[in-house]
Amino acid sequence: MRLELRNIRHVYSPGTPFEVEALRGVSLSVEPGEVLGILGGTGSGKSTLVQHMNLLLEPASGDVLVDGVDAATLKRSELRRRIGLVFQFPEAALFAPTVAEDVAFAPRRLGLNEGEIEDRVRESLVLAGADHLKDRSPFALSGGEQRRVAIAGVLAMGPEMLVLDEPTSGLDPASRQGLLRLIQTLQDTGTSVVLVSHNTDEIAEVADRICILEGGEVRAIGSPAEVFYTHPEFAPATVLTVTALDEIGWDIGQPVRFGETLRALGDLVEG
Amino acid sequence: MPDPVSISCEGLTYSYPGGTEPALSSVSFEVRTGEYVGVVGPNGGGKSTLLRLLNGLLAADSGTVRIAGHDPATEPFEVRRRVGMLFQNPENGLVAPFVEDDVAFGLENLGVPREEMRVRVREAIRSVGLVGYERREPHTLSGGEKQRVALAGLLALEPEILLLDEPTSMLDAAGRREVLDRTQGLRGGKTILHVTHHLEELLDADRVLVMNGGGLVADVPPGDLVSDPDLLEKNHLALPPLLRLAAGLGLEAARPRTPEDLARAIREKARGRAGTR
Repeated sequence: MRLELRNIRHVYSPGTPFEVEALRGVSLSVEPGEVLGILGGTGSGKSTLVQHMNLLLEPASGDVLVDGVDAATLKRSELRRRIGLVFQFPEAALFAPTVAEDVAFAPRRLGLNEGEIEDRVRESLVLAGADHLKDRSPFALSGGEQRRVAIAGVLAMGPEMLVLDEPTSGLDPASRQGLLRLIQTLQDTGTSVVLVSHNTDEIAEVADRICILEGGEVRAIGSPAEVFYTHPEFAPATVLTVTALDEIGWDIGQPVRFGETLRALGDLVEG
Repeated sequence: MPDPVSISCEGLTYSYPGGTEPALSSVSFEVRTGEYVGVVGPNGGGKSTLLRLLNGLLAADSGTVRIAGHDPATEPFEVRRRVGMLFQNPENGLVAPFVEDDVAFGLENLGVPREEMRVRVREAIRSVGLVGYERREPHTLSGGEKQRVALAGLLALEPEILLLDEPTSMLDAAGRREVLDRTQGLRGGKTILHVTHHLEELLDADRVLVMNGGGLVADVPPGDLVSDPDLLEKNHLALPPLLRLAAGLGLEAARPRTPEDLARAIREKARGRAGTR
């Protein structure tokens, strides 16, 4: 699926003294099968932006296009099935007595038969690394486990694109790694992923392209190397280290991901 | 003269209702007055449960907790006036229309006289670097500013002990630095227990407690923790990216705090190599 946002504006509480223009004409695309990382500080408009991707929020002006079709003309239920949105702290919405029943909720509402529902539930739990939890109560799980179950619930709808808003917030490093691997697995199966985070080191490891939002506008969008090497205030530790070396006269190119940076620095150290 | 021991736990054990495994089992440690102690470990390891037992939100099944000599279960007021807790989500604590009202909220509840309240609110706002923000509306602030307002609200109550429960996990890089600068600035004056998933926040701590599976599995200086790959791995801990890069290059000993530190260490090593050939 290819998603395109054209000149999206969003205003909260229009016509009141609390009026805030949260998005000021944002244009970007999410290409089929890519991982797009969206970075930005608190109040940059990240969460408002992602809620436009499946029209959970309607823009004040601008268009959302799904494979070239105006999303406003599509059925909302269809749109939300195809573009799965995982909110911050999605575990707050867990409600069923067991994990399997919780994950079955959405496919059941799609009107699938019991066999299909069971398949969907099993596949999404496996994908999210939560298969072993299926008979447990969602409320007796750790934060990291709950997060995976909540994501499985969205995967069970069979989305073509997954939008994750701060999915690693509050997770321990092992759970964070697990989530990043899940994103890579999804990409391997052809699912597009939008990853919103303030953790630049994480985004740098998985994103194909980076978008920086600031004050409701796109400040930069492009390859990780282009964006990070021109916007050091958003750059990960790898890029900052390479930049610091460059400043003292050692140019080793523009690696971004941890592995390639370590190799480039290793070559320098080992001569 | 403050009690030399701020926090003391002995054989602390707690199970959540319906839980099959104890969330905390036989945890014992002491924190001396004025210490800055980090707490790390995987999700579900017992960190949050520990904090809730310390401030009396939960009561232990067995074992004892003493906060400056007081038992949270039987002397909740003695404990609560000594302990302030800062949470993950800066939105949660903010209640009032203006920053100064928010900072004053706890004092108003305690019935502190007007004049004293004004002095304490002013001092608390100053100590978190928000002078000039008194009449700002909390919802217009950045995440880091909101968290500093929440911290000021705690400081106005003049607690002896601060419990920080992942206070930076929802903040961006700039907000994280703002909050850490302020909590670091309180060192010595307050006893601080700081729960976090980010080891880089604890490199200057006096000690780090590692919690896993409901038990206290290590109580070590931060330098020992970051240089012990086994201990890190077993407890789902990860080195911050900068230290991971340093380790990958055999430059652990340089203990870089900034990318510039690491760049200098790399240059030294590369030059050394070039010189020996």
